[in-house]
Amino acid sequence: MSAPSRAPFRNPGWAGNVGEFDLSEADVRGTGYVGERPLDGGHPSVAPSYPYMLPGKDPGAVLFEGPYLERFEKIRSRYPTARGALIPTLNLAQELRGHISPETMDEVAELLGLATAEVRGTVTFYTMYNKRPVGRFLIQVCTNISCSLCQGTEVLDAFLEHTRTELGETSADGEFTVIEVECLAACGFPVAVQINSHYYENVVPDEVPALLRRLREHGR
Amino acid sequence: MAYPYVHEREVRVISRNFGDPAARTLEGYRARGGYRGLARALEIGPAGVIDEVKASGLRGRGGAGFPTGLKWSFMPKAAVKPHYLLCNADESEPGTFKDRELIRWDPHQLIEGCLIAAYAMGSRHAYIYLRGEFFEASQVLARAVEEAYAEGCAGEDILGSGAHIDVTVHVGAGAYICGEETGLMNSLEGRRGEPRVKPPFPAAVGVYSMPTTINNVETLAAVPHIVEHGGEWYRRWGTDKSPGTKLFCVSGHVEKPGNYELPLGFPMMDLIEDVCGGMAGGRALKSVIPGGSSVPLMDAEDCRECTLCYEGVEAAGSMLGCASVIVMDDRTDIVREVRRMVQFYAHESCGQCTPCREGTAWMTQVLRRIEAGGGTEADLDTLLDMSAQMTGTTICVLSDSAAAPVVSSIEKFRDEYLALIHGGARAEVA
Repeated sequence: MSAPSRAPFRNPGWAGNVGEFDLSEADVRGTGYVGERPLDGGHPSVAPSYPYMLPGKDPGAVLFEGPYLERFEKIRSRYPTARGALIPTLNLAQELRGHISPETMDEVAELLGLATAEVRGTVTFYTMYNKRPVGRFLIQVCTNISCSLCQGTEVLDAFLEHTRTELGETSADGEFTVIEVECLAACGFPVAVQINSHYYENVVPDEVPALLRRLREHGR
Repeated sequence: MAYPYVHEREVRVISRNFGDPAARTLEGYRARGGYRGLARALEIGPAGVIDEVKASGLRGRGGAGFPTGLKWSFMPKAAVKPHYLLCNADESEPGTFKDRELIRWDPHQLIEGCLIAAYAMGSRHAYIYLRGEFFEASQVLARAVEEAYAEGCAGEDILGSGAHIDVTVHVGAGAYICGEETGLMNSLEGRRGEPRVKPPFPAAVGVYSMPTTINNVETLAAVPHIVEHGGEWYRRWGTDKSPGTKLFCVSGHVEKPGNYELPLGFPMMDLIEDVCGGMAGGRALKSVIPGGSSVPLMDAEDCRECTLCYEGVEAAGSMLGCASVIVMDDRTDIVREVRRMVQFYAHESCGQCTPCREGTAWMTQVLRRIEAGGGTEADLDTLLDMSAQMTGTTICVLSDSAAAPVVSSIEKFRDEYLALIHGGARAEVA
């Protein structure tokens, strides 16, 4: 088993972990530049691009009303076929409800005029659709090659231990669901962990408790 | 220290704005020379743009290395049907982490590249397909696209030229195979991301059955510079067959992993020893995967004289791929890491083709058995036999990719397999 390679350069993927940089977490994530994005989707060109793994989930949310209906219509306008709009529409449904249930698939099929089988076929192909409810924080730990070389499995184990959950299950308090994922494309900053819509990089096992505390206290 | 990976031997063309948050805004990008390439493209016209890109010798940076200008010239000249440009930002090849950096640090560079490419190919709509996990990068890109529309760089009447090109930022939902160009097209149509049989090729029948060209983020990021300065300018770097600069994504056991933009043809050992500060903790080098998990492993001897260009890595027995250099030190358990890679392919196989669907799953099982100390020498023959049946027998190359690390590791590190088979203990070399 390889010993951890602790790189001297640490990417400020999260505020507790800025290493020797003079860039802030906001500089790296670009949050100041992005600002608050409007719920109605803003310009139609970017309406299909919103985070859809959020802490707040409402499984009974209506598909769609108010600004979300406006966003749905903008999404629909950017694709030449109704089916083309399917993935962004499912994304929007998961953004609101937190997971894609069979009932949600039926509703989305109805909205876009597609067969239920078409929608189910698509939903089941993609790993980011939660087929059942997940905790407030969905913790996705990469254990693929580059992270595996630098303690990926140990970081995964640390998350399981400190959240007191089994792989793929949700903690008793409903806070955390921990899963193992394939390459997140942050291989130079191992171990890469995606928690809801945010990346946390250079995570080492010892830092896991602090990261979990940060999530509980600050919501991200 | 503003940004982790800066080295004096780098040639920062497409990565020049990495680590500079002020370059993200349209204003900041313009102040650094941005959108001049687009202005020149509109002057020299579509044919002029394709000529410059052909002259540059730019090769596709997504892994296959196909000449970009030639690819563009396959698109029909007359716009009888709608043409589409797709930007492939579904970066998921294990070891590769350049496109997210290009998008989050320099979103306008990518938008400008997309606009120029779309203009050159008579496309009125460019989709940028980001993998779903890139939520943060997609927010930065979305903001930049909104700015580009507001400032007349995208949409109707681009820079007052009358050209009309729309850009849409599309976010996927998690599937490695959608990085394969025809899988990506199916995904953009709302289908399962299963690759399509070729021919027909995308330039004839692509997304929504229309002529389509798909380019990687890094390819498109180079285009504004090539069009602004001319194709010959780009050839100042690199080799005759591999012109220009390339981002090298170095991960694994080096002191300073990261993205380094270097001229193609750069010596591999200089990358590891000099640019990346050497092996982590001064350990010895055991193996390098030079182009992401889909290419054959190299041993330390192969690396010694290897130069990092398409032809150089091929001569050393592997492939440059997307230049994702995964470095492993002497303590690495090769069998475990190969099993981890094959397990990935088993997870990501779309399941259409039998050799891939069955082969990747079986290989994972056989490798697990060897890892657990229950393997036999005959298992190695089984793995090689399966690899042969998985190569060149399927619609896309995912299956071939899964076989590459297996075949090369059995060839180069057979003793590690044998140690597990005969000793039942892990190969603890150090």
